[in-house]
Amino acid sequence: MKALTLYEDRNTFIHHVHPINKLIYIFIIIVVPLILPLFPVLIAGIIMNTVLLLIANVFKKSLPIFGFVLLILLTVLIIQGLFHAENATPLFHLGPLLFYKEGFFYALQITLRVLNIVAAFMILVLTTKPSDLVETLVRKGLSPKIGYVLQSVFQIIPQMLSTMETISDAQRSRGMETEGNLFVRIKAFLPLLGPVVLNSLIQTRERAMALEVRGFSSLRHKTFLNEVKNYRYTTFIQFTLWLVLLAAIIWRVVL
Amino acid sequence: MIKVKDVSFSYQAGTEIIKDITLHFDQRSTAIIGQNGAGKTTFVKLLKGLLKPSSGDIIIGDSSVNETTPATLAKQIGLVFQNPNDQIFKRSVLEEVLFGPLNIGQNPELAKENALNALKMVGLENRLEVNPQDLSLSDKKLLCIASIIAMDTNIIILDEPTIAQDHLGKQKIKEIIQSLKEKQKLVMTIIHDMDFVAENFERTIVFQQGKAILDGSTREVFAESDILAAARVEPPSITQLGYWLGYKQVFLTEKELIETIKTDSKIAL
Ligand SMILES: Nc1ncnc2c1ncn2[C@@H]1O[C@H](COP(=O)(O)OP(=O)(O)OP(=O)(O)O)[C@@H](O)[C@H]1O
Ligand SMILES: [Mg+2]
Repeated sequence: MKALTLYEDRNTFIHHVHPINKLIYIFIIIVVPLILPLFPVLIAGIIMNTVLLLIANVFKKSLPIFGFVLLILLTVLIIQGLFHAENATPLFHLGPLLFYKEGFFYALQITLRVLNIVAAFMILVLTTKPSDLVETLVRKGLSPKIGYVLQSVFQIIPQMLSTMETISDAQRSRGMETEGNLFVRIKAFLPLLGPVVLNSLIQTRERAMALEVRGFSSLRHKTFLNEVKNYRYTTFIQFTLWLVLLAAIIWRVVL
Repeated sequence: MIKVKDVSFSYQAGTEIIKDITLHFDQRSTAIIGQNGAGKTTFVKLLKGLLKPSSGDIIIGDSSVNETTPATLAKQIGLVFQNPNDQIFKRSVLEEVLFGPLNIGQNPELAKENALNALKMVGLENRLEVNPQDLSLSDKKLLCIASIIAMDTNIIILDEPTIAQDHLGKQKIKEIIQSLKEKQKLVMTIIHDMDFVAENFERTIVFQQGKAILDGSTREVFAESDILAAARVEPPSITQLGYWLGYKQVFLTEKELIETIKTDSKIAL
């Protein structure tokens, strides 16, 4: 059975933190560097995320995702380093290419921000069962429809990965080389994209129909199968998180 | 043509799905049977190189699956997936069938010829431009079969080809298997339809919980009623009818049974 979520069932402290608190954490880790736009703050955020991922014992699992994100960000770094509009101060040479300070640091900032955000989301996604999160929110009054959309977002990456694996099997079993050096892999990756997107859309349509025939849009009150889970130190963590935000705001005002 | 040596495999550490299987395949057409979850699909994916054995080795022709890629093996061995939706990814019937032949280096004219012939065999020759996703499940399965036949490999594995087929569809598949046999190809088929096994395959292998517990000529295998019962495999209906009529021998086709009854009744008269 292919698991259709990135969630890793481990028994760590982070796994027992209330999903709402993880959402607040994401909000704060994104907002604080915006309030205090300093490199050290951003780097502290990334370190914090990394530590939490390590505590939750899911750091390894998050590496491929970081790898993918970094690959994309690398192109940003190159393009901005070479062609950013405000480029004036040369920074370093790479062969015939001259990188400029302004563009480079601008791109570096984007890179760190994105990494920070992705890492924060990783904590949520890797340590929270999607159904637990959605259920908490729906219990708190979120419309089940939005809940479903949210849950789909959780599933879409693993779903695409699994579709990708399936199609890649179909292709290599009929003679298309997918293993080997980077060039072979990239060449094999491109023809995957079309079918993957298409098949994912088909699956989504089937799922929507499956939901409808089982009364998803019904206006009656829904019942829940699971007991409400016991989460740890919920109020304390929430309090601390808001305190961090407050501290950031005060720092900004005083500075 | 295929040598499987001490092969074990597990998806997750701890649960072995294939347990120390050793088998040799020659040109005899072979049926692989066994209850759901016995590991049949996993086994053929190992043969195809899509999965790598946790231990042991598989030799196809003269290359080991441990040292080659599925893409390289594709020239020798074709696999029709159990679920057509896992195999189909092109936008038109013709493109789908052409994909394999072109990838393994057939020249375009030959590839087109092979593709059209294969589509004719399954009766889809008039639907070349149709989007495969708009085909019925049975036609999708036939399309998958055509896509593999067009590659003209020496070994062809079919994972439940008769799935969703009506009588006519089964008849087509039967003819296809016959014609592949005539071309000296090894046809291996995973299948739950025992009547189909009895009528079409020379050799039968029974899987149970990751092991090949029975292997022999189809007649020998269906004679082992106790082992079959333990593996929850029901013998072909014609074989059972023979038993009920009090015969000790194993019948594989209606013709065999009828001939025997005729001779016996002549003796009685
Ligand atoms: N990708 C996978 N990951 C983990 N376990 C799997 C995977 N695919 C199959 N299995 C498990 O391996 C076992 C054997 O599966 P397999 O599909 O090989 O059986 P099968 O004999 O083909 O069954 P069926 O007749 O239903 O097709 C089953 O218990 C199945 O749940
Ligand atoms: Mg199977």
